[in-house]
Amino acid sequence: MTDTFSNPIESPVTAPTVSPIRKLVRQFSRSKLALAGLAVLVAICLAAIFAPLLSPQDPYDLMQLDIMDGQQAPGSTSLGHGFTFLLGTDDQGRDMFSAILYGLRISLGVGLTSAIAAALIGATLGMIAAHAGGRTEAVIMRIVDLQLSFPAILVALMILAFLGKGILNVVLALVLVEWATFARAARGSALVESQKEYIEAAVCMGLPLRRILLRHLLPNCLPPLIVIATIQVARAISLEATLSFLGVGVPITEPSLGLLISNGYQYMLAGYYWMSLFPGIALLITIVAINLVGDQLRDVLNPRNRS
Amino acid sequence: MTGQRMEAPLQTNEEGRDMAAPLLSIRNLTTSFRNDGQWSPVVRDVSFDIRARETLAVVGESGSGKSVTAMSVLRLLPPASSRIEGRITFDGKDLTALSDEAMRAIRGNDIAMIFQEASLNPVYKIGFQLAEVLVEHRAMSQTEAQAESVRLLDRVRIPSAKNRLDAYPHNLSGGMRQRVAIAMALACQPKLLIADEPTTALDVTIQAQIIELIKTLQQEDGMSVLFITHDMGVVAEVSDRTVVMYRGELVEADTTAEIFSRASHPYTRALLASIPHLGSMRDRDAPLSFPLVDHQTGAVSEPKETVARPNQQAEPLLAVRGLKVRFNIRSGILGGVSGRVHAVEDVSFDVKPGETLSLVGESGCGKSTTARAIMGLAKYEDGGITFNGKPLAGLTGQEQLARKRDVQMVFQDPFASLNPRMTVGQALSEPLAFHTSLSRAGIRARVYELLEGVGLHPDMASRYPHQFSGGQLQRIAIARALALEPKLLIADEAVSALDVSVKAQIVNLMIELQERLGLSYLFISHDMAVVERVSHRVAVMYLGEIVEIGPRQAVFGNPAHPYTRELMSAVPVPDPQRRATETRVPARELRSPIRAPDFQAPKRMMLEVGPGHFAQADSDGIVTQLTSLAETAAQTRQPRLAAE
Repeated sequence: MTDTFSNPIESPVTAPTVSPIRKLVRQFSRSKLALAGLAVLVAICLAAIFAPLLSPQDPYDLMQLDIMDGQQAPGSTSLGHGFTFLLGTDDQGRDMFSAILYGLRISLGVGLTSAIAAALIGATLGMIAAHAGGRTEAVIMRIVDLQLSFPAILVALMILAFLGKGILNVVLALVLVEWATFARAARGSALVESQKEYIEAAVCMGLPLRRILLRHLLPNCLPPLIVIATIQVARAISLEATLSFLGVGVPITEPSLGLLISNGYQYMLAGYYWMSLFPGIALLITIVAINLVGDQLRDVLNPRNRS
Repeated sequence: MTGQRMEAPLQTNEEGRDMAAPLLSIRNLTTSFRNDGQWSPVVRDVSFDIRARETLAVVGESGSGKSVTAMSVLRLLPPASSRIEGRITFDGKDLTALSDEAMRAIRGNDIAMIFQEASLNPVYKIGFQLAEVLVEHRAMSQTEAQAESVRLLDRVRIPSAKNRLDAYPHNLSGGMRQRVAIAMALACQPKLLIADEPTTALDVTIQAQIIELIKTLQQEDGMSVLFITHDMGVVAEVSDRTVVMYRGELVEADTTAEIFSRASHPYTRALLASIPHLGSMRDRDAPLSFPLVDHQTGAVSEPKETVARPNQQAEPLLAVRGLKVRFNIRSGILGGVSGRVHAVEDVSFDVKPGETLSLVGESGCGKSTTARAIMGLAKYEDGGITFNGKPLAGLTGQEQLARKRDVQMVFQDPFASLNPRMTVGQALSEPLAFHTSLSRAGIRARVYELLEGVGLHPDMASRYPHQFSGGQLQRIAIARALALEPKLLIADEAVSALDVSVKAQIVNLMIELQERLGLSYLFISHDMAVVERVSHRVAVMYLGEIVEIGPRQAVFGNPAHPYTRELMSAVPVPDPQRRATETRVPARELRSPIRAPDFQAPKRMMLEVGPGHFAQADSDGIVTQLTSLAETAAQTRQPRLAAE
């Protein structure tokens, strides 16, 4: 413990200061699988961001489509434009590779926006419930219970049936479906953390409530929320794909991965497997990568593993 | 560390009984753990013996490797990440070479272990758990096991043993649970009992009972005991021989009497010097720092006498009058109040400027709740708290902020009381940024000043709490509490979780700060010996009430209330010569402060038994006892009844 029994001035330890973030990174990289997941995820995100530079055609620009290129198998060459359709084309002559890259943008965008918005709303309400207690808490948590007792897909379908198609409406539906999970988790960890002595110490210090909640309580409640958020991004993407597949999701003019699968599905039996299969694989890889990262984050951020 | 010093005391032929072959013999034990692919030894080259019918104490501070040594003997460490080298011979068998199967037979049958927290399964009745062991290890039938369980519970002096078989672990108090754990350990009549800090989590009076019990049982059964503890007082109380460990190495091994009278290693001497001796302050009226001993050289620095004396005539800084804190217990579907915990009941006391008032008592006596009520962390039902002449109840928002600056608190667990996501510098500058108008540079200068004031290097400001040791963190917590220059510091068990040598340092720091800054302390502790060291006045609490309050010298030298005496007699004396021979504390369950909702607390009388020294006079016949004391006091002074 202390060498400095006789000397009250403790000498600084020579070991370099390790910030919690650096420790986290080190612990995260212990799992090769999670690292691979992270690498794939980063690649997917970059591909989505730089889709216009990577894809040979803009799949939304009808002028660039040629009906003569329709239903071409992977590897065939475009008649009019001269480039190769790596993953084939759909019935409109749209390059599947380009469509998937652009579809990823929609899928990831919808997933991220809805998960972040749900996290913000849910965490705020959860923290308010934990802090206020009494009637406020009871009302918020009963709404959460009610929300969680319905299957997510059913709630989303109802909302979209009511609001109609559209990216914004899908995001709204997903937020409404997901916020309750965050609220419950946030309340749980806020209740645990607010019992800790450092919160009492902050109260004793006479710090304002706002500061105690935002600076002390919130950062210590974040780890479980971050984990849930990653998992919920994956969940939102798959839910959006499901909704689009069912025809109530994004509009046909801006196809997400789910809508691409849906569009190609009718040609499956005709032997044009690539129209559905490749968007499906892209969706699968994305979700698996996000879940791998989320799982490892959960292990790393678990307070029991923090030594 | 020379091998010679380790071996020599083990071969001494004292009293002739050491001729017998040792029951357990450990030779050159090195236990290493794998961390990030690297093996680092936690126990290095440790050798000692335990003979039949002998109690050996392994003493050391946290991280000294004493528990790991015991775990190595039982091979309880995870084989994947730990490695045991050396030889461990038990009863002629080499434990390191045994198969896992054979080792399982030894565990429980020949060597039993008890832990700090009684290791009982919370979902089974204790009768079931005892019977399970008996059926499994001694091949008894259910009915035989039932009868044997009752006998075992009787042996560990559990009152009405038969009825307790149907109790769940949570129905019993901590002391009773530890007794059940001991009964389970004894079920197979082991030759060796390993007790790993069995009394650390218990109150002093309960600790005394458990130690007594282990000693009696050992004599009855003739088993050997390996007693692991950090408490030199407990060592003096129980052990025949003592092994002192420091940072994974055995530094000294000898008979307990030799260790206490003629310790040769500087670390042992340092350890002994930092133990508070109850009664060592008899002739002093002011607090006294602990003497400090250098771990390497053994040089002793004599404690400084404190010179400042609080003015007892001054207006009290903090005045608590008739404080009552109660918690409702709700049950039933409608959540009706089914009972009340009378956590604090009619408590009154003053703290003068520059004075240390200690609140002592066992767990659940309401001492922490009193502090929390003063800090505004717990709501109080009745009574008044006046700080600096102003009642707390009617303060405006601004005044309340000012009050919060003036009263600060230091908590028991330094790891929990600092936000793990803020650097120490951020934690220290936070109150300054909010309460003062200092500039950024001014705050930084003040943070450095605070760190230096508690004996830490300013460079440490950029580090996170997990990078510090417990003692350093408690210094930081004190620095944070001092940031706003408070007048009163409430220390709620602030040194209880620390190792003895660190405890001595923190106590010395607090005494020094009091002298330098003229602070008042409300020092809350269950540790009578530390309280004797630091306080000017002492209040003893029991079941939410103050049963005795007065100048420290009077309360410790002339305790009037029977509970105070019980508390003091239960403190283990760190002197093997003065080992108590008979049972000092009767086995009893702690009484509970839970009352019916309509319970009216009886009005208590405080009787002045000496100058400024009051003791509670309740209906149990203590009045007469106290009155005689009061009459003795009356020879010098007119006694008066003070009904507070």
